Amino acid sequence: MGWVSKVEIISLGTLISALTWSSILSLMAIGITLLYRTTKVPNFAHASFVTTGVYSATIVSLMGFHPYLGMFLGFILGGLEGLVLFYAILEPLRRRRSSIFILMIATLSYDILLYGLLNVLADDLQTTYKILARMIYYSRLDFSIGGVPGVAVISLLALITTVILLYILLNRTTLGVALRACMENTALAQTLGINVSLMLLFSWFIAGGIAGVAGALLPFYTMCGPYIGMLYIAEMFCASILGGLDQIYGAPLGGFLIGFAKVALISVLASFVGPWITEYAPIIPLAAMAVALVLVPKGLVAIKIRRG
Amino acid sequence: MQLPLNEIALFMTDFLALFGVYLIVTISLNIQRGLAGIPQFGLMFAIAGGAYITGNMATRIAVWILGIKTDLDPVIDCTAVLSMVNPMLNTQPMTSFILILIYLAIGATFGAVLGLIQVAPAIRLREDYLAITLLAFAEIINVIATAYKPLLGGAFGVQVPSVYGWAGGYRYGVATLAILVIAAISYLYAEYLERTPLGRTLKAIRENEVAAASLGKSLVKYRAIAIVIGSALCGMAGTLWTLYGEYVTPTYTRFYWTFLPWLMVLLGGIGSNRGALLGTAIFVALDKLIIYYKHSFEAFLPFDVVWLDYILLGIITAIILIYRPQGLLPERPYIPKDIRKRIEEKIKQF
Amino acid sequence: MLKVESLNSGYGKLHVLYDVSVDCDKEEIVAVVGPNGAGKTTLLNSIFGIADIYSGSVKIDGEEITKLPAHVIARKGIAYVLQMINIFSELSVEENLRISASYAKIPDIDKKLREIFEIFPILSERRKQRAGTLSGGERQMLAISIGLIRDPKILLLDEPTAGLMPLYVDLIIKKINEIRKERGISVVLVEQNVKKALEIADRAYVLVSGQIIFRGSPSDLASEKEIMRLYLGMGE
Ligand SMILES: Nc1ncnc2c1ncn2[C@@H]1O[C@H](COP(=O)(O)OP(=O)(O)OP(=O)(O)O)[C@@H](O)[C@H]1O
Ligand SMILES: [Mg+2]
Repeated sequence: MGWVSKVEIISLGTLISALTWSSILSLMAIGITLLYRTTKVPNFAHASFVTTGVYSATIVSLMGFHPYLGMFLGFILGGLEGLVLFYAILEPLRRRRSSIFILMIATLSYDILLYGLLNVLADDLQTTYKILARMIYYSRLDFSIGGVPGVAVISLLALITTVILLYILLNRTTLGVALRACMENTALAQTLGINVSLMLLFSWFIAGGIAGVAGALLPFYTMCGPYIGMLYIAEMFCASILGGLDQIYGAPLGGFLIGFAKVALISVLASFVGPWITEYAPIIPLAAMAVALVLVPKGLVAIKIRRG
Repeated sequence: MQLPLNEIALFMTDFLALFGVYLIVTISLNIQRGLAGIPQFGLMFAIAGGAYITGNMATRIAVWILGIKTDLDPVIDCTAVLSMVNPMLNTQPMTSFILILIYLAIGATFGAVLGLIQVAPAIRLREDYLAITLLAFAEIINVIATAYKPLLGGAFGVQVPSVYGWAGGYRYGVATLAILVIAAISYLYAEYLERTPLGRTLKAIRENEVAAASLGKSLVKYRAIAIVIGSALCGMAGTLWTLYGEYVTPTYTRFYWTFLPWLMVLLGGIGSNRGALLGTAIFVALDKLIIYYKHSFEAFLPFDVVWLDYILLGIITAIILIYRPQGLLPERPYIPKDIRKRIEEKIKQF
Repeated sequence: MLKVESLNSGYGKLHVLYDVSVDCDKEEIVAVVGPNGAGKTTLLNSIFGIADIYSGSVKIDGEEITKLPAHVIARKGIAYVLQMINIFSELSVEENLRISASYAKIPDIDKKLREIFEIFPILSERRKQRAGTLSGGERQMLAISIGLIRDPKILLLDEPTAGLMPLYVDLIIKKINEIRKERGISVVLVEQNVKKALEIADRAYVLVSGQIIFRGSPSDLASEKEIMRLYLGMGE
């Protein structure tokens, strides 16, 4: 195989696809990391928050709007789901001084509950509106800029906006500074008069909301159904861990590494060994996470901080 | 040869078979979580592993043991190959019995290996990282099983030899009996394990993370032991379930094979084997009843009843966690006889 | 000022304090001493709504604060300096002080900052430094300042001299006494360093296994040879 063909191995289309997936994955991972920082619990219900975003896009499009506007509904619905999880389940458990492990099961059980509800919703949409509610795909409704699919641009913009807004929130507002205080030292924050529960509640709303936004973008990238969040939950955690579970801005780094490894690397591999290998793409994030856990358990961002 | 089984007997066999398989799984969970404190959120991995490896190897091994000469692939052309294997097995109970033992050994070994692979990246790390890793790794088994056609013939699955065929109309009864025997052995083994020095060390690790951390190297060792034992049991559960149904598809899900066992153990009381027994019985009975009365529900529900399962079980778990985190039959502290005597003497002295 | 009456408290199912009564008058320094694990920190945590109170009451100036959440108690003119991680190490020294003051609704924060820097001049030199990089002694000074900048009537201090070298211990003990005199604050001082604590305390309590086994003046305590030897590791 000559040099020229090797250059062509990775097409522009593949790179754009990798970029899109990386942006969406990063959005999903940011919330997981944020919640881990504030509440010290890996949120397994993130899967359903994301799926909620998918169906927000569906609902918005059934109402006659462009499904991209589902991002807003997704933010609100995802945020509310986060709010309910924290307020109705996690907060009572925290008050009983339950262990992290109990909190983890609680998020898992909430995920199962939401999964059931989302399936009911899908069934209902299917019978009421006669749409294929288990095969949601909006690629046809997407616009394109000079051949680049709109979702690539929108996802990247959504990610950048989210990171900037999050930065402003955490560093420039009293609310955000209080939230950071809670993340670093809950007990101390409490003694200063910060209402820690309220701060955590707020973080669950934000994180759920961001997951909802990511979910609303998903049907422009791939075929979605009620299972879609569960399908990607492992990958979300991989991105989150690779970036460093306690480094909020590490999540996009992890997201991009995993996204590009999965989409771009696999297509390079495929051109060498054959297309069958693409079916194994979901293993790449796990491998990356395994390596990261062994070599840098605190995540990649931690390395830079230690040196700097 | 088919004996007319009445509905209740059929229901009971079915119930007991599922109960037995789940009991093995919940016992395994009790050893991993209850004893060693490992948040095993990827139980499904070893169970599916046991089931899938049985699907892949069972016919192959039967062909070899029975000395059948054929060029057909035992997975892709399983129906054709089994049309040669099954008639022979139907007349050879002894060979069938040996096969079952071989399959179980393979399921257990493969399960144990998967358990080790699954825990390896995070075995030194804290509970939360461990939980994420175990859950994440479990998710890949179906990716592989669906993508790698030679394993199970892709998404449609594969048939396995009917090792209970010799029992004729009693085949399901015998299959259930086999499951219950293994379940009983697992139960007794778990009870025994708790009382050994190993069991007590595992518990000490669970009770105290600081002490556990200071164990350093041996923490890794003890976690590995618990995972190996637990995953071997899970692997056997997968094998038994496959042999019972004589068929396997790559569709083991987190809901049925990780979440449900967790719920059973939580309801019974983590760390208590009696609790696991009770929790398993309750949930399997509920599940069977729901399936049995499914049609009467369907009449007035505008969606598939199965989703109601998810919704209710999600809510029930949260309620248990909040209102009865210790479960119905909580773990009783086990104090060895000699130590109990010493304590009693001390109390008398005062 | 502060009145704790027959308090039973702990963490979830872990019962730590049994029928503990402690009070602290205006401008008084009350020392609470006792062996490790006796429940000294738990006593302060109970006052501040961090531990679980099963029965008994906590009052500030006659106002019941039992079972109020911590962030509400924090607004009742009482400040608590935690035993262990008692500063935000990611924030700078000044940010630490500012965030504390802003939540206490202090009107003129800059003026308050200058006051604090007069008490602990070293903090003024370190004001832009990340708090995580401070030395042990500087950290304790910052922790106390974080409490002090809130202008409290009552200051709860949990082992402010733990792990410090003697020079710093003397300095901090001296400062606590000065602060009390100059600003008329009541101090509940939990200390391992019994000798030093008793030097400045007006009254002392000895807490053992969750129960008060002594209350009285420091000089009375010094003559209780049995208690001093058995529980406080002092004496011949
Ligand atoms: N946050 C907590 N959650 C659960 N148990 C706790 C907590 N803090 C303390 N304990 C337990 O409460 C008991 C009393 O501890 P406490 O910290 O009050 O003792 P102490 O007198 O302050 O000891 P030291 O001198 O070592 O600081 C101990 O058995 C301890 O393990
Ligand atoms: Mg203490």
